[in-house]
Order: sequence, then structure tokens, then C-alpha cells
Amino acid sequence: MQTLIYFILVPMVYISFAVFLIGTAVRLIKIFREPKHPTTLQIFPEKHPKWLWALYDTFTFPSVRRHKPVLWVFLVVFHIGLLLLIIGHLELFGEFAIFQIIPHEVFLGRGFIGLLVCIALIYFLFRRFTSPIRELSVPEDYYLLILLFLIVLFGSQMDWARRWYEYAELDVEHYRTYLSSMLHLRPELPYELTETGHSFMLVLHVFLANLFLIFFPFSQSMHSFLSLPVNKLRRG
Amino acid sequence: MDQNMRDELLKLFRSKLNEAMRFYLETCTRCGTCTEACHVHASMGQVKFIAAYRAEIVRRLYKKYFKSQGKFWPSVGEAKELSNMAIEELFEAAYSCTGCRRCMVYCPFGIDTQMIMSIAKLLLIGANAEPEILTLLADTSVEKGKSLELFKEGFLEGIKRLEEDVVQKWRVEAGENAIPVDVEGADLLYVALAGAHSIIPAAAVFNAAGENWTLSFFEAVNFGAFVGDPTKTKLILDRIVNEAKRLKVKEVCICECGTAYRVMKQLSGKQPFIVTSITEVHARYLREGRIKLDKSKLNGGITYHDPCQIARNGGIFDEPRYILQHLTDDFREMSPEPIYNWCCGGGGGLVALGDETLDFRMKSSQVKVDQVKATDAKILTTACENCHTQLSNLNDHYKMGVEVKFLSSMVADALMQ
Repeated sequence: MQTLIYFILVPMVYISFAVFLIGTAVRLIKIFREPKHPTTLQIFPEKHPKWLWALYDTFTFPSVRRHKPVLWVFLVVFHIGLLLLIIGHLELFGEFAIFQIIPHEVFLGRGFIGLLVCIALIYFLFRRFTSPIRELSVPEDYYLLILLFLIVLFGSQMDWARRWYEYAELDVEHYRTYLSSMLHLRPELPYELTETGHSFMLVLHVFLANLFLIFFPFSQSMHSFLSLPVNKLRRG
Repeated sequence: MDQNMRDELLKLFRSKLNEAMRFYLETCTRCGTCTEACHVHASMGQVKFIAAYRAEIVRRLYKKYFKSQGKFWPSVGEAKELSNMAIEELFEAAYSCTGCRRCMVYCPFGIDTQMIMSIAKLLLIGANAEPEILTLLADTSVEKGKSLELFKEGFLEGIKRLEEDVVQKWRVEAGENAIPVDVEGADLLYVALAGAHSIIPAAAVFNAAGENWTLSFFEAVNFGAFVGDPTKTKLILDRIVNEAKRLKVKEVCICECGTAYRVMKQLSGKQPFIVTSITEVHARYLREGRIKLDKSKLNGGITYHDPCQIARNGGIFDEPRYILQHLTDDFREMSPEPIYNWCCGGGGGLVALGDETLDFRMKSSQVKVDQVKATDAKILTTACENCHTQLSNLNDHYKMGVEVKFLSSMVADALMQ
């Protein structure tokens, strides 16, 4: 058991990050090295400056807001939530003055960000069970949503444990010890991380997150990098 | 399907994979925002007509042969083998899509279904499964470009016979040609369609505006683009580009044909001439006061159908409305925002396939009919041959009771001497 936990928390994390970084980079390079399309692919009427409108389309999804307003609300909650959770994880490496502009305890949002993201993911998943989205979806779409839901749920559990039901054995300091040691390639696993009551949450969270990172470059999650260039094509 | 055939087809598939195509194939999250975008789905309700579903038919092949996901874990993305059944599916997807790109307006990423369908169309050509008529028509156009001398005599005779009709609409000075052909140093080369309706009204307006123009030997329509053959599309396009260069014209004006306009405007590259549509040219004449129109010629409300390739995909929205201001006081918009105008249901080669597609074209365009009826207009006008044919068919089939007219011929009929 100890070996398994060690494998998930140390070597597998390195492997997953390597696959994620190299896989994403290689795939993007491959795509961007293809020849450009010879003609414009834009939709008219055009608005200037085109790059600003492309940014607007990419980050605020105006077409979804117009045609699927409920989906849009959940999409915004999900994407902003995800961004805040990523910031929260960066803060588990060490202190970042810039993130403390709004003074807070790590993680931002008193545990509610994770809860909201969980709810959004449930919505996306249940939405996929309804026609016609069900007919459009492929297994990948379900796997990703289930995976993300479990990752956020287990991750949030650790946050909620500390904040909501005073189970404070696992502390931010323990995560910082672990993550900064990983970053400096001298892995160190504090006793609290692997032996206390909530360590199984941590191990599951990390294990599933590893799977997600490995799958990322080969999945539709690549839209996070491609959305802007595709939107730019439409704006001309 | 044997392995040789499959390899050949995959080579064709590979030839379509440029950067933009990769973007379109990699980005879809199947969110379903495009569900309401397609007129075929809106009219017929089947899931297979949703843009994302059509695209996924091509995408499944892409995953299988061009993506590691499909090699290591094919079931996760439902990667699919290229088989005879797959070819049938591609046919249904590609030839029920009119390439109107309305779905592109809905998509949060802006995925271009017409582009993705161009892979399907090319694979169909490779598998000899494309609609033969379109290839035949494309080949005829290409042939005409190669051996112009054979056609020249007959063409000139035919044109002579039309001159009288032109003069009836607008008198020209004695000794002047009502339809000038092959004039070197003309300012404007007009590229028409094979049909008097595309030549006579245009000629009358050019003469009325005192334009120094000449008629092209070739017809504007590009069947290569309909059938999705990039080589033939280019050959058919080059006939006109070469003619324009030979005659040293400053402007190439394309008749009322959406595909011809978009192909010429966007695919001809940088040239010594500019490319305009006849709608733009007519609007310009009005703005410059070179022609005057009589509003009393037309009675009843007029509505205008924006041809997809000219408006949403070509950028011409204001000019037809400006012209209509000079033709009527009772213009009625079809769609509150022209970018959301429904396709007529005849694009992408469907109208060119004639009776073969008639039943489908009628069923798939119910939303267009409803849109026109809601305006309660008496005259339905448009600036595209395909749209005109399709709208006329719809008018007969659904007994809409409107008069379907070309915008250019309305201009010609309302000319004031």
C-alpha cells in the first residue's frame, strides 16, 4: 500500500506532468506548423479591431449566452472556478503576493468555489444525458466530466474538511512541504499527507488528476489552447 | 473497400489538413450550441442534421487515421474505419449541408462546418461516389477554358440575338454595341451565367450608367466548388482571371451567383483588378447618380433574401438594402439581423442537382418558407441564381404566392431614361 501511495504521489505526478507538457506542446506545434488556409474564413459583418473581438468571443462565449443562456451561466461558473482553483493550487507551492491582493486563506472562496464547480460539472454531465446532446456526445465527453467531477470533489473535500467540519490534521503547510519538494526534485512526503484520516482523499485526488493530465493533450480539452486561434479565424 | 483505395482516400484526406482544418477538427466539445443553427435540422428535426453531428462523421475518421487517440484508444472518441458505409454517411452529411455557415455564428469556437464537409466531398470524389452531374458540369467548364476557340463562334452569335432585348430596356447610341464582348482596355469585365436573364438586365444597367464594360466568354458559376474539387475549382476560376488580365480590366464584376462571387473574391488572390458583385456595382451607380430608378414600377411589399455566400460569407449586406431604398418605400426585413438569415436550402450544389434533390430541398426549407410568409411581402427578391431557383421552387411547392425576382432585373426594369 505504501509503495502504491508513493507511486501515485511522486513518480506518477512527474510522469503525468511530462506527458501533459510535452504532449500538449508537440500537438500544438504539429497543428501550428501546418500550412495556413489560403483564403479568409471569416464571417461578416466584420468588426474592428478583429483581435479584440476574437478575445471577446473566446473569453465570454457571447453566442452561448445568446442561444443557451442557462448553459452559459454554468460555463462561466465552471471556467472562472477552474481558474481560481488553479490559483489556489499555485498557492500550495508557496506564498504569492499578487494573489493576496484580496487577503484570503488558501484556497480562495472559503470552499465554495469547489462546490460551485462540482455543481456545474453535474449540470454538464446530466445535460449530456439529454437529447440531442446525448447523440452528439462521444464517450470521451462523459469520461472527462466524470473525471473532473471526482477530482474537484475529492480535492474540495480536503478544503471543506478544514473549513467546514474542523478536521484540520492536513494543513496548507503540509501541502507546501510536499509540493515545493516536488518542484525542487527532492520529493518529501510529510507523515500527515500519507497517514492521517484524509490522506486517501489526497491520494485519490492526485491519482485522478494524474489521469486527467495524461489524457489532456489527446482530448477535446485542447480547446483551452485552440479556442482563441479558431475564434480569430472567424473574426478574420 | 480495399486497402489501396483506403490509402488513396486517406491521401486526399491528408491534403485537406491545413492549420485551420486541424483547428476545426480538434476543437469541438460537442456542447450542442449549434443545435438550432441548421435549417435542415430546424425543418426536419433529425439529429443527424445538427452541425456538430455532421462534423463528427468526418472527425471520427480523422481520429482513426490522424490522431494518436484513435490509434491507442479508438472507442473513447468513437474513431471509425473508412469503409463503404462510412462513404455513404459522408455523402448524406455533405450533400444535406448547403455550406451556408449559419452554424459558424452559433459555435462558441466558430467551427466552419462547410470546411469540414469539404473533406467529405473530396473523399466522395476519390471514391467515385460524388454526384456525377456536378463533376460533368465542372469538366465542361474546365474544357471550355482550354478550347475557347471552339465555343467562341456560337457564343458570339447567341449574344447578338440578345442585343435587341437589351436595347428595349435601355437605348444605346447608334453604332454602339449593346453587349460588348472581348474589349481590350475595358474598365469592367462582367462575368454572367449561361442564360439571358443574367445578361440582358445587367447589360442594360451598364449601358445606362455609361460603363466601359465587356462581357466575359465564361460563365461565373464554379461547379468545381460545388463538388468540392480544389483543382477544378482553381482551373475554372483561372479562366476568368486570365481573361481579365488579357483584357487589362480594372474590375471583375460577378453576376448574381453566390458561390461564383465568394470563390472569385476570396480565392483569386492578389490581382491587378478588384472583384465586385453586381449588387455592389449597382449600388455604386446609384450613389454616384449614374442611374436613376423609378419607384412606381413596383407595387406591394418587398423582402430581400440575403444569399449566404454573398452576405454572411461575403460581407455584402448594405448594398442590396441601399438599392431597395430606391425601388420601394415598403421594404421588409426578413430577419432582425441579416447574419442570422436562414439559408434558402439550395446551396452547396443542391440546386444544380435539380429534381434529384427537389424533395429534400422542399422538406429541409420549411423554416425559410415561414420566414418569408411572416414578412407578408408580395415580392421576394434575391441576388443569387441558386437562391432564386430554390425560392421559386419553394414558392410553387408551398404556394407562397410571392413573386420571386432577381434584384438586378428589378433595377433594369426600373431604369429611367
